[in-house]
Amino acid sequence: MTSDTPTRARVLVVDDAATVRLYHSSLLTDAGFEVSEAANGLEAVEAALGAEFDLFVVDVNMPKMNGYACVESLRSETVGTAAPVVMISTEDRPGDAERAYRAGANLYLVKPVAGDRLVRVAGMLTAVEVAA
Amino acid sequence: MGLVRKQAPREPEEVLPEPPDTGTLLGQLDDPDPDCRREAALGLVEAAEAVPELLARVGTEKDPRVLESILTTLAARDTEEVAGGLAVHLASDEAVLRTAVAAALATMPRSVPALLPDLLAAPDHDVRVMTAMVLADLPHPEAHDWLVKMICEDPHPNVVTGAIDALLPSATAEDAQLLRDAVERFPDDPFLRFTVNTALPRLTGTA
Amino acid sequence: MAGAAATGLSDADFTRFCEYFYKRTGIHFTSAKRYFVDKRIDTCIRNSPYDTFGSWFAALRTSDQGPMLQELINQLTVNETYFLREDYQFDAMLTTVLPNVLAARGGISRIAGPVKILSLPCSTGEEPYSIALRLLEEWDQIDHVDVEIHGADIDSDVLAKAAHASYGERSVQRVPKAWLNKYFVAVGAGRYQVDEGIRSAVTLHKVNICDTAAMRSFRDFDIVFCRNVLIYFDELSSRRAAENLYGAMRPGGYLFLGHSESMSRISPIFTPTRLPEGLVYQRPTGAK
Repeated sequence: MTSDTPTRARVLVVDDAATVRLYHSSLLTDAGFEVSEAANGLEAVEAALGAEFDLFVVDVNMPKMNGYACVESLRSETVGTAAPVVMISTEDRPGDAERAYRAGANLYLVKPVAGDRLVRVAGMLTAVEVAA
Repeated sequence: MGLVRKQAPREPEEVLPEPPDTGTLLGQLDDPDPDCRREAALGLVEAAEAVPELLARVGTEKDPRVLESILTTLAARDTEEVAGGLAVHLASDEAVLRTAVAAALATMPRSVPALLPDLLAAPDHDVRVMTAMVLADLPHPEAHDWLVKMICEDPHPNVVTGAIDALLPSATAEDAQLLRDAVERFPDDPFLRFTVNTALPRLTGTA
Repeated sequence: MAGAAATGLSDADFTRFCEYFYKRTGIHFTSAKRYFVDKRIDTCIRNSPYDTFGSWFAALRTSDQGPMLQELINQLTVNETYFLREDYQFDAMLTTVLPNVLAARGGISRIAGPVKILSLPCSTGEEPYSIALRLLEEWDQIDHVDVEIHGADIDSDVLAKAAHASYGERSVQRVPKAWLNKYFVAVGAGRYQVDEGIRSAVTLHKVNICDTAAMRSFRDFDIVFCRNVLIYFDELSSRRAAENLYGAMRPGGYLFLGHSESMSRISPIFTPTRLPEGLVYQRPTGAK
C-alpha cells in the first residue's frame, strides 16, 4: 500500500458535480493519493496558488471557468505548474481532445471513466505505484 | 505629497448616474478595444432595444471577459427572446461559450421553463447534459420535477448522471426508487452505481 | 436563542446545507461549527413561516435569495466593524501591493497622479480611516507619493456616521495608544472622534455598487477593498458588482475581498494572485 509511504502524491480533483468529485476522490484516496477538491476552474487556480499538486484531474464543462481555461491558467504565469493534467469530459466530439492538449493537458479521457483506469493513469502520471 | 486632503472634511456626496447614450454604446460593441466593448455591454442593461445586438454578439465575441459582460446584461432581462437566443449556444463547440450560457440561463427562472421541452428532447446528448447543468442552479420550484423526468427518461447515461448530480441536493426519500431504477437501466456505469449507492442511505435514513 | 435546535438537523441535512451555503456565498463551515450553524438556522426557521428544516430549506433554495438568504447570511456572519479589522490585508497593502503599484506605474520618481485607494462599502468609516492611519504611520514612501483615499456606501445613515467619525471604545480597541492620542480627539463618554486632518483625507461617496452608470465615475483605482458585501448578493448582482469594480480599477490594480470570500463563485474576470499575506485579485494588465 502506498498509503504507508511518507509522501503521497497530491491530486486536485476539479469538477462542478459534487457526485463526480466524490467518485474520483474516493477512487484516488483508496489508491493512496492525497486528494483535494475544487468545484470550478477558478477554485482550482486559487487552490493551486496556495498549495503544490502532483496531478490535476479536470472536468471540461464547469461554470465560472471551464476546464480548458483552467488548464491554460494552470500552465500560464498565473500559476505556472508543470504537474500533469488529466481532463475528463462528457464531450467526445472531434477536436475536443486536440483542444485539451493545446490548453496544456497531458491526457484527455471521455466519461464514464472506469475506476481502475483512472487510478492506473494517475499512478503512471505521478510515477507512483498504486494500490489498484 | 502624502495623503491628499480637502480644505475641510466634506459631507458625503451622492454619485449620480451618468445616463449612457444607447446609440454610442451600441456602436462601441464593435470597438477594437475589448475594455470598451465590455463597458458598452454592461452599460446597455436598461436598453431593451439593445437585446438583438447583444444576442448577435454572444456567438461571435472572442474575448471571454466581454462575453461575460454581455451575458451579465442579457441575463438580467429574463425574457423568452433572451433565453431562446442564449439556449442555441448550449450546443456550441466552444466550452467557454456553452458553460457561460448555461450559467446565464440558470439565473432566468421565468423564461427557461418554456424552453425545457425542446432542450430535454434535443438530439445532441451534450445539449441535454448542459440542460441538467442549468437545472442544477435554476431557482424554480419545478426544477426538481424536470430533473426527475430526465433521470427516468433520458437514454444517455451521462445525461442521467448529470441530472442525478443536480437532483441530489434537493432529493428526498421519495426519490430513492427512481435512483435505484437508473442503476438498473445502466448497469455497466460504475460511476452511476457508486453515486446512487452513496446517496441512498442518506435519503432513506439508513445511514 | 438559547438551547439546542428544536428543528433537529440530521448530519445529512447539515452536510446538504453547508454545500448549499458554500455554493451561494463561498463560506465554508466544517462540522466543528455544527452547534453554531444549527442554532442560527433554527433562529431563521423560527422567524419564517416554515416549521421544518426540509420545508424551510426547500423554500430557500427555490426563492432565489431575497430576504430569506439575507437573514441567513446575517445570522451566520459577523458584521461587526472596527478599526484595523482583518489587519493582515493592510499588511499586504503596505509590504507587497503598494511597492508593486509604484513599480507598475513607473517608479516613485515617474509616477503620474495619485495612488488611489477605495473602500467599498466603507460602512461607518473604520476601514478607510484605518487605511489612512496605517499609511501615515507605517508606509515609508508616504512623503514621496500622493495618496487619495475614498470611501463609498449605499447607506446614507452609515455615511453620515462615517463623516462624523466618532467611535466607541470597542471600535478603537485595536488602535495603538500612541495613534489614538495623535489622530483622535476624546469627545467624552468613552468616545473618540477622528481628527479633522484624517477626516479631510477621506472622500466619502454615496453609491450603489450594482449601478453601472453611477459606478462609471469611479476610475483608475490602484487598490480596492470590497469586503464582506458580495456574499449578500444574488448571482447576477454579484456578477455586476464585480464587473463594476473591475471598471473602477486601473489595469494591474488590486482587489481585496473579505477573509472568507472568494471570486471563484462570482466572476472569472479577475486574475487571482498569491501574496505572502494571502490571496488577492488583480485586474489583468493589457488587452487580450
